[in-house]
Amino acid sequence: MTTPLLEIEDLHARVKEKEIINGFNLTINEGEVHAIMGPNGAGKSTLSNVLTGKPGYEITSGSVRYKGYDLLKLSPEERAHEGIFLCMQYPVEIPGVPTATFLKHAVNAVRKHNQQPELDTMEFLKMLKEEGKKLGIDSEMMKRPLNVGFSGGEKKRLETLQMCILKPRLSILDEADSGLDIDALKVVAEGVNSLRDKERSLLVITHYQRLLNYIVPDFVHVFADGHIVRSGDKKLALELEEKGYAGFVKEN
Amino acid sequence: MAGLVENISLIGDEIPWLKALRRKGEEAFLKSGVPGAKTEAWKYLKPKELATDDYVFSCGGCSQKVKQEIPFSCYRICFENGRFCPEGSFFPEEIEVLPLIEAILTKSSEIQFWLKQICDLNKFPFAALNQKYLNEGVYIHLPQGFVLDKPLVLDVHTSCEDKNLFSNLHNVVVLDKSSKAEVVEYYHYDGELKSHYFNNVVNQIFVGKGANLKHIKFQNEAFKASHIAFSHVLVDEKGLYDSFCLQRGADLARNESRVILRQQEAECVVNAAYKIDGWAKVDTTTDVEHLAVATKSHQLVKGVIGGQAKGIFQGKIHIAQDCVATEGNQLHKALLLSDEAEVDVKPELEIFADDVKCSHGAASGELDEEQLFYMRSRGIGYEEARQLLISAYFEEVFALLDNQDISNWLKSFL
Repeated sequence: MTTPLLEIEDLHARVKEKEIINGFNLTINEGEVHAIMGPNGAGKSTLSNVLTGKPGYEITSGSVRYKGYDLLKLSPEERAHEGIFLCMQYPVEIPGVPTATFLKHAVNAVRKHNQQPELDTMEFLKMLKEEGKKLGIDSEMMKRPLNVGFSGGEKKRLETLQMCILKPRLSILDEADSGLDIDALKVVAEGVNSLRDKERSLLVITHYQRLLNYIVPDFVHVFADGHIVRSGDKKLALELEEKGYAGFVKEN
Repeated sequence: MAGLVENISLIGDEIPWLKALRRKGEEAFLKSGVPGAKTEAWKYLKPKELATDDYVFSCGGCSQKVKQEIPFSCYRICFENGRFCPEGSFFPEEIEVLPLIEAILTKSSEIQFWLKQICDLNKFPFAALNQKYLNEGVYIHLPQGFVLDKPLVLDVHTSCEDKNLFSNLHNVVVLDKSSKAEVVEYYHYDGELKSHYFNNVVNQIFVGKGANLKHIKFQNEAFKASHIAFSHVLVDEKGLYDSFCLQRGADLARNESRVILRQQEAECVVNAAYKIDGWAKVDTTTDVEHLAVATKSHQLVKGVIGGQAKGIFQGKIHIAQDCVATEGNQLHKALLLSDEAEVDVKPELEIFADDVKCSHGAASGELDEEQLFYMRSRGIGYEEARQLLISAYFEEVFALLDNQDISNWLKSFL
């Protein structure tokens, strides 16, 4: 039996004094696509932030192993080097940094870690143009400051583009469909699906079932009150769509 | 032991008007001395340490051994250890370029006319001190309508080992009607880092009717050095004085600009940036005087302060009576990289006219954690991400430089 790509055991995490995640368990093997669905406030974003190492979260107990190693010891950049990528719900705007410049720094940081030669500007721009084309991103957008004034759709396309050029082993998609119309959604889903293979895994975090029509999961988990309350296959998503989350959330 | 005020022999003391100017400078300085916390205009910088150092007034000539590469095509006027260096200097024949003392000796009445237009030095102790030693510097004169095709770099280089060289450059730049030039002042050093050398500079700048001067300055002195500069600028009708100063070096520094828009539709840009660390104290002081109708001024100053350094911005906009249709804008922003970094800001508006548009603002903050995390989550290391964000912070003011070569050159030092 091979080591799972990601193994979360009895994870408890809090922000300031508030415990958001309690007793969370999940195992993702290579090549699997897992969807986590849950109502607002279930702790979905906290989960993705904890996995990517965002400062401000305290892990009180439990463990997260990635490729068999203790993930929680790694800095955010080390996690990225090891192949973890978070496709953010609200990517931040960074005035003064051209999109292409940022992407080049990111690509070369990962390449350097993998002991690959860094791309020079010409090689990089060529690659960027090819990958961008697939997602309908024109090269003018690359000259603009990162995410500044981008529409919701443009931001999501850019997140997907980064995923496609960084080729992560574990991609976490946090509400990847929010703010997308159906055409943009298809383009983004196509980009994501193009990365699916035997080695790469996906964790799709979403409120709605819609996205899962395009990125079809192997497993669906219902996330409520800080932990998984039920797991199943893709049919579970349809059931949730029909019945809502009411039956899964604790009555207070 | 030699202090700031010494009786050193200078060329030209037999010329009565020159002797009188020098004496006037000395008297004005002795009256105020090195200003401290009680002098309003110097209360943040408090350059008291300048009074106690032991100085030398000369230190080798222009050996021409080090010639810093400047990565763009330019003309050059070189100073080495406070002395004019003819070997390294080259400029087009159509413009007049003379060492200041040569101009004094050969064009006495003309240069006297310009020198005497400096403001009352009683309020400018270091400019007064500079005048006491009036001798070194350069006189640059562009004739009417002449357009300089390449930037002219004033390359001021210091390599005084561990000696505390005290030098007083005084430059006079005159742009006649409709002429156009780009002048770059570049202060840099080589060698021993411990030297507390002190560059005390005065620029007198005259922008004639419809003339256009771009004035870029890059202060990259040694990290224990002191640098105090005062630019006195007079702008005539429809003239444009467009300036930018980047301060990166020195332990104690002040770049002060006093721009007088004295005829209608004169305009100025007084932008600046500084990036400081350690225990440095770096001051940007501006005073823009709108003395005529329809004059315009714009100021954007951005600073990044780390360590226990202190950034200072004092900006004054004065709009005289009846100067209608005038516009004055000023904005200072600082980024503090550590808990012990400090910024002191004093904006002042004096408006005595109606129908003017005037604004000022100041803001300071820290690096954005969300932006840092975003970059790190894509594999960019913490330091690299910080550097990218710092460069991005400066981009707003660098974007206003239209000479890309100069802009890229300056950015490479951030």
